[in-house]
Amino acid sequence: MTSLDAATLAKLAGVKLRARAVMEGVLSGLHKSPHQGQSVEFSEHKEYAPGDELRHLDWKAFGKFDRYYVKRYEHETNLKATLVVDASGSMGYRSGPLSKLEVATTLAGTLAYLLVRQQDAVGLSVVTRAGSADVPPRSAAGHLHTLLDSLDTLQPGGGTDLFAAADHLAERVRRGQLVVVFSDLFDDREEALGRLLALRARRNDLVLFHVLDPAELEFPFDDPTLFLSLEDERRIEVNAREIRESYLEEFRAFLDRTRAACTEADVDYTLVRTDEPLDGVLLRFLGRRQRRAA
Amino acid sequence: MTFGQPWLLLGALAGLIPLAVHLFDRRKPRPHPFAAIAFVLRSQRRTASRLKLKRFVLYTLRTLILLSIPLALARPELRRPGAAVSRAAGPAATVVVVDRGLAMRFVDGQSLFEKVRSEARSAIATLGPEDPITVLPCGPEVTPPSAPGLDRREARETLDRMVPAWSTADLGRCFGVAARALEESPTAGKRIIVVSAFTAGSLRLETPLPTLRGPGDKRVRPEMVLRDVAKGRKVLPNHFLADLKAEPAPQSGVRAVQVGFTVRNVSDAPAREIQATVELGGRVVGKTFLALTPGGTAQKTLTVRSEVGGPVAGAVTLSPDGLAEDDRRDFVVQVPRELRALVVDGSPSPVRYRDEVFFLEAALSAPSSPIRPVVKDASAGLREPLEGYDVVVLANVPAPVPEEVARLKAFVERGGGLLLSMGDKVEPEPWTARMGELLPRPLRLVRAAGSEAGAGDGRAAKFGDVHWSDPLFAPFSGRGREGLMGARFQRYMLVEGGARSDGSDVLAAFDDGAPAFITARHGHGRVLLFTSTLDRDWGDFAIRTSYLPLVQRAAAWLAGALDERETLEGRVGQTVALHPDPQAQVTSVKSPSGLAVPVRGEADHALQIGPLPEPGLYRTYDATGQLVPGSQFAVTLDPADSDLTRLDETQLQAYFGEEAVRGPGGTADRRVPIWTWLVVTAAMAFFAEGLLLRKP
Repeated sequence: MTSLDAATLAKLAGVKLRARAVMEGVLSGLHKSPHQGQSVEFSEHKEYAPGDELRHLDWKAFGKFDRYYVKRYEHETNLKATLVVDASGSMGYRSGPLSKLEVATTLAGTLAYLLVRQQDAVGLSVVTRAGSADVPPRSAAGHLHTLLDSLDTLQPGGGTDLFAAADHLAERVRRGQLVVVFSDLFDDREEALGRLLALRARRNDLVLFHVLDPAELEFPFDDPTLFLSLEDERRIEVNAREIRESYLEEFRAFLDRTRAACTEADVDYTLVRTDEPLDGVLLRFLGRRQRRAA
Repeated sequence: MTFGQPWLLLGALAGLIPLAVHLFDRRKPRPHPFAAIAFVLRSQRRTASRLKLKRFVLYTLRTLILLSIPLALARPELRRPGAAVSRAAGPAATVVVVDRGLAMRFVDGQSLFEKVRSEARSAIATLGPEDPITVLPCGPEVTPPSAPGLDRREARETLDRMVPAWSTADLGRCFGVAARALEESPTAGKRIIVVSAFTAGSLRLETPLPTLRGPGDKRVRPEMVLRDVAKGRKVLPNHFLADLKAEPAPQSGVRAVQVGFTVRNVSDAPAREIQATVELGGRVVGKTFLALTPGGTAQKTLTVRSEVGGPVAGAVTLSPDGLAEDDRRDFVVQVPRELRALVVDGSPSPVRYRDEVFFLEAALSAPSSPIRPVVKDASAGLREPLEGYDVVVLANVPAPVPEEVARLKAFVERGGGLLLSMGDKVEPEPWTARMGELLPRPLRLVRAAGSEAGAGDGRAAKFGDVHWSDPLFAPFSGRGREGLMGARFQRYMLVEGGARSDGSDVLAAFDDGAPAFITARHGHGRVLLFTSTLDRDWGDFAIRTSYLPLVQRAAAWLAGALDERETLEGRVGQTVALHPDPQAQVTSVKSPSGLAVPVRGEADHALQIGPLPEPGLYRTYDATGQLVPGSQFAVTLDPADSDLTRLDETQLQAYFGEEAVRGPGGTADRRVPIWTWLVVTAAMAFFAEGLLLRKP
C-alpha cells in the first residue's frame, strides 16, 4: 500500500477514518520492516501459561531451557501514554488540504490506535489558552473510541499557552509516563518551550511533534497582504515580498532554537509538515524509537 | 537656462506619475488569516525603517527618471556669461561700437543706456593690456574715433561723455567707420565689439559687414563680438504717437481745433487703458483712452477749443511706457482769429434779398465764420472810425470823398484789408480819380455780357483763368471748383490793362480775359478788387455754393489770417525752412532744452534751421533776444525710430556668424548643453532602481 498523501487524507471525514487509514499504512510499513513484532519495547520473559499468545513463545529459550517462555513487552508492562494536542487558534491554519490541527489529531489518533492495539493505556490532553481538557489514560478497547471521538470534536480557537499546559501536565502526568505533544509551539513567551521540556526532567518520555504548515515554513506570499491573527485581534498590512527574507530568517531561528532545546533536553523532536504523508512521519518516528530501544 | 524644444517640458508632468500612483493607485491588500503572525510582526518591525528609506529612494529615482527624460528631450542649455572677450592669437586692436540710438532711452527698471555703458566698460575691462582700444559712440550721426590706443582712460572718458541720441543708430555705418579706424592700427589682430540692443531699425541686414586691409593687402573681416543688452527679448514693448494732425475746425465753431492722432503699439502684448491728453495753449483741453492690440494701431480725433486765436502751441501726451520720449508730440496750430469786418452797403434796400450786402452779410455771419461783420450804409460807413476793424468792404459804394479815401488808405497801410466790389453806384471815372492809389487797376467801363434771361446781346461770362495755387482759391477742388466755375456774370467792370509797379496781380479772370479778382498791397495791408457785384444784380455768383467760402476766405486773406495758417513742422536731425515775417528779424532759434540751433539765412528771407537736435517746441528770437511771436514750430521724432522690434538670434547669426553671436568665450553668453547630463542621470537612476528592486 502506498502512503496516503494529504489531499487523499483530507477527503476522509473524521479522525477515526483518517487515523485508521494512516495506521494501516504504518502497519503495512511495519510488515515490511525487519523489526516486525517490535512495535513496542521488549521487557522480560515469563513462563507460558494457558491463555498466552502462542506467537510470543520464545523458541530460543525453549531450546535452551526446555521450558516454555513467552516474551513480555513494554505494553504489557502497563505503558501509559498521554497524547497532548494543541488546539489553539493557530493550529487551525491551513494553506493546503489539511489544517495543522487535523494533522495533529490524525497523528494522535493513529498513535492511539497503535497503543491501544498493544493494550497500552492512552490518555488525551487538549491544550488551549482557556485550559486543558483531559481524557485519562486507559487501555480498554472501548477507550479508543472515546479518544477518537474527543479528537474528532476538537475545534481550533483561542491563544496558545504552552506555559499553562506544561504546568497542567506536570500535575496530571505521572513520572515515567510517555507524553506525546502535537503543537506548532507558537507561544510568544520564550520560556514556554523550556517549561514544556521540563517534563523530561521529571523522567517522562517526551515526544514532540512540531506541526507546521508549508506556508509558515516558506512564506510564499508576494502581494501586499493584510495578515490577520488567528488567535487575537492583531493584524498587519505588509508587502510580503519585502519582508519575506526577514521572516524566513526569524522562522529559521525559531526552528533552530526549538531543535536545540529539544536535543539539549533529550526530547524526541519530529517536524511535521502538513503536506507530507503522515504514515511516513510515524514510520520515521517508530523506527527512531526502535533504534533507541535497541 | 534656455530650451531648444520648450514645448516638450510638458512631459515633465510625468514626474508626477509616481506621486499619483502612490496617492491614487494603492492596491487593496488581500486579507489572509495567518498563524505565524508574530514572526510577520517581528520581521516588519525589523525592516520597517529600511523599507521606508528604500521606498523613498525608489520614489525619488523613479521621479528622477520620469523628469529627466522629458527635460533632456527639451534640450536645455545653461547660459553662462562670457568670461572674457574672444581673443585672437596675440593682441588685437579693438573698436568698441556703443549704440547710443533712441532705443537706448528705453527704460525697463534700468535704462538701456546705462546698461550699454556698463556693458561697454565690462568689455573694456576684459581686454588684455596689450590690446589697443578705442570707443565709437554710434548714433544716427557718426564721428570717426581716434585710432586704437593703449590708453584706457580716454576710452572710459568717451563713454562718460556719451549721450543718447534722438534717432536710431546706424550700426552698419558705424561698422564701416570702425573698420577704417582699425586699419590705422599696426596691430595684426582686429576686432569690433558691438554693444547694442540690436533693434531692427539699427542694422540693415542687406549691407555687408565691413572688411579691412589685411596681410598682403587682402581684404579680411575683423573679428566681430556682440554684446546684447536686451537679450532674451523679442521686442522692447513700446507704444507711441505715430502721426498727429492739428488744424482749425471752423465747422465746429470759433477757435475750434481738430486734433487727430494715431497711436501704434509695437509689442507682443496688448496695451490697455492708454490715456491720451491734449494740451492747447498750456492747458489740458481734452482726454481720451485707447486700447491697442499687439502690433495694433488706433486713431483718435478730438475737437477742442482754443482760448486765443493765432498760432497756438499744443501737445498730445500718452501714458508713459518704457520709451516715454515718443509718447509726447508737440504741435503748433493756427487758430483762426476773430475778424471784424466793416461792410459799407452802397445800395441798401428795404427788401432784404435786394439789399447789396444781403448775401455778403449772411456769408460772413455764418456760424462757423471767424468774421463778425458790421453793416453800415455808405454815409455812415465811410465816416466810421476804422481802428477796430480788420477788413473794410465797399460794396457798390459811390466814390468816397478825399478825406474818406485818406482814412481808408491809412487803414490799409497799417495792415487792414480792403475789399472793393462794383455795382451801379460805382462810376469808373470818379472812382479812379479818387481811389486811384488804392485801386489795383484803374476802372474803365462796365461791360454787359448777356442778359439774365440769356437772350441779351451775348453769352454770360464765367470765370476762366483762375490761380488755383493762390491761397484765396487753393481750397477749391473737385465739386467746389465746379461750383465756382459755374457762376455766370451778365456785367462786370473792365479795368485798365498792364501791371502796376506795386505788384498788383490778377488772381482770376473771366473767360474773355477780363480780370475778375485783382489784388494789390499797400503798406502792410491788402486790397482786393472784385469787378462784379456781391449780390445778384450783375450775376448769380451770390447764390452759388462757392460764394460763402470764397468771401469768407477773401476776408481772412485780406486780414492776413491765411498767411498765419502756414505752420511749420520738422523732424529730429533734419533741417527746416522758416519763412518768418520779413519785419520780424529772426536771428536765433532755440530747442526746447535751450540749445542754440544753427540758423542760415537764404536769399528769399527764408531761414534754414537745423539740424534739429531734439523733439519739442522750438522758439525763435530776434537780435535783441526777444521772442518772435508766431514763429514757433514743433519738431517730432521719426515714428519709424520708435519701432523697437529686435533682430532675432537667427538673423544675427546669419549676419555676424554663429561664432560672433554665441561667442566661444565671449560676448554672447556661453551655452552649456545639459541635456546629456540629464540622460546620464536618468540612466544612472534607472540602474540604481534596478539594483534596489533586485535587492530584497
